[in-house]
Amino acid sequence: MKEEALKVVEEVLAQGRKALVEYEAKQVLKAYGLPLPEEKLAKTLEEAIKYANEIGYPVVMKLMSPQILHKSDAKVVMLNIKNDEELKQKWEEIHENARKYRPDAEILGVLIAPMLKPGREIIIGVTEDPQFGHAIMFGLGGIFVEILKDVTFRIIPIEEKDAWAMIKSIKGYPILAGARGEPPADMKAIVDMMLKVSELVDDLKDYIKEMDLNPVFVYPEGEGAVIVDARIILK
Amino acid sequence: MKSPKIVEELKPFFEPKAVAIIGATNKKGKVGNVIFENFKRNKEQGIFKGNIYPVNPKLDEIEGYRVYKSVKELPDDTDLAVIAIPAPFVPNTMREIAEKGIKAVVIITGGFGELGEEGKKMEEEILQIAKENGIRVIGPNCVGVYVPDTGVDTVFLPEEKMDRPKSGSIAFVSQSGAFAAAMLDWAALAGIGIGKMVSYGNKIDVDDADLMDYFIYDDSIKVVTLYIEGVKEGRKFIEAAKRITKVKPVIALKSGRTEYGAKAASSHTGSLAGADVIYDAVFKQTGILRAEDFEHMFDVAKAFAKCKLPKGDRIGIITDGGGAGVMASDAVAKFGLKMAELSEETIKYLKEHFPPHAVAGNPTDVVGDTDAQRYKHAIEAFVNDPNVDAIVVIVLFQVPLLNEEEIIEILADYAKKSEKPIVAVAMGGKKTEYYAKILEEKGVPVYPTPERGVRAVAGLVHYTKYLEKLKEE
Repeated sequence: MKEEALKVVEEVLAQGRKALVEYEAKQVLKAYGLPLPEEKLAKTLEEAIKYANEIGYPVVMKLMSPQILHKSDAKVVMLNIKNDEELKQKWEEIHENARKYRPDAEILGVLIAPMLKPGREIIIGVTEDPQFGHAIMFGLGGIFVEILKDVTFRIIPIEEKDAWAMIKSIKGYPILAGARGEPPADMKAIVDMMLKVSELVDDLKDYIKEMDLNPVFVYPEGEGAVIVDARIILK
Repeated sequence: MKSPKIVEELKPFFEPKAVAIIGATNKKGKVGNVIFENFKRNKEQGIFKGNIYPVNPKLDEIEGYRVYKSVKELPDDTDLAVIAIPAPFVPNTMREIAEKGIKAVVIITGGFGELGEEGKKMEEEILQIAKENGIRVIGPNCVGVYVPDTGVDTVFLPEEKMDRPKSGSIAFVSQSGAFAAAMLDWAALAGIGIGKMVSYGNKIDVDDADLMDYFIYDDSIKVVTLYIEGVKEGRKFIEAAKRITKVKPVIALKSGRTEYGAKAASSHTGSLAGADVIYDAVFKQTGILRAEDFEHMFDVAKAFAKCKLPKGDRIGIITDGGGAGVMASDAVAKFGLKMAELSEETIKYLKEHFPPHAVAGNPTDVVGDTDAQRYKHAIEAFVNDPNVDAIVVIVLFQVPLLNEEEIIEILADYAKKSEKPIVAVAMGGKKTEYYAKILEEKGVPVYPTPERGVRAVAGLVHYTKYLEKLKEE
């Protein structure tokens, strides 16, 4: 059990909440060594500018509020911000959008993140079955999961061979293996993530109800992967 | 070596020294009468070797057997109690059983948890008595146990209405009693041998996991089939399944999709996780083969019972009809297998022994004017070909020059001596069915269509692959 992860979970519960905001979910994931972008939570505009310069432009801004879980619906995600000037302007805009969407929204801060190089999109998820306990899900992101439901499940905890079997069992596997001249995706990185998620959920099984890591960008072999967005729902 | 605890606990269900039939009666057609008659018949035939003690406060004797007024009066060698009395009397009888020191109980009676809260309370009471006294319970609301070798038969459907299958190496576990009874009847007709059948109904105690653990140590069982409606203790099921599939194949038929999948989920993953995909995951993870329907379950079980395991997934097909060969080839692709690429030696050997119009290849077509010897050459070549892992022999018995007895002998002989699995496909009517039955009795599994034959082989291959993955670790 990683104490840092449990601490985040307990704080959220203490506030009477069941859903972790992206930043909190990522703190839990970070405790288990899952691959995350270099992101920082800015509470003030000054902090935001400082962090954006540390990370290096262009950056992404995501407003964190327990009342706003569907960030794109509320228009509180701003992409491709190129300089301090634009950041200042978007800072106002993002707060205004939040207030319009939920006047009562409590704002924890704005997550400043780098613009990520696109990769092949996957989803890793967790759900709880009343008989068998937590199950991990794997699939390709976007239309593959939305429309084709090309996903596969295993009961947690999983072993390395289960993770490989999951990756190879989806219909979209050739996309990861390298279709149409693309290099193969970093499948070892996917296996590593799935094993870490399995460990995390097994440790926190009394707290976690559901989890989505969606999307996760996977890069070519040897270049790893990164979790772009994450949500965790507690029991 | 000392037997594991589970074997000690469940053994009285399958080979009791003495069985008490609580609720035994002389009224024909009553549950307590059918069960008594089953044991009596098997005793008379020398199959059931234990003692039979009917229990009924209103009777002195049934058909020459002394009837005991109560559980207290039972002789001390009683190690199995079968209960067939109305539900409200069961908890009290359980207390008497506990005092008597009987450790195995089959509760046939229905009217418990399946009816509602009242029944659930009684189940809890029974379970508590069982736990406190180290008693194992099968049921309630079940047909119980059938073991052809020892003559245990608590199936309350009379023999004149339901045939019993012969003994064999397939264990059959069913949640549903009606399905179990229908399957036993069908297995008897189909000539499928059942080593042990357990139908556990409401499974307040003994469940799939316990039975899987027991079958690990049961040398008479080669393959386990499960009909499941729902698993109560998921983790226990997973652990037991992982243990048994290391040594024996398990095939499951799962029915009943719950409302769980439709429930509102707050995450993407939750909305995609219906109960059925979770069962799929459990079966894949534990190496259990999932059957599409009951034919699939027993087709594969029959192959495991009679065949050796293949070394790989390359299938060789021999046929005397071109169409059937094509159907088999299609099935090979459909079930994720590969068509074997025959070695040059095989092709050469076949060409030497075949007339020019027979086809040496995969499928090898011995064509409609074949005799049994042409089949023999083909089977010989396939058995010796290192590129072939499993052989499907399609025999259309209708062709004029084929001597049925001769081809049956040849197939049975190769099935026995070859290291590769050999299954037969025989399509046709009454006469074909007659010969198929003889062939099967001689140890070769026979299927009525190429698709079902290949699907059964696919079951063997998938299990082999699972075992190989385990070894890699």
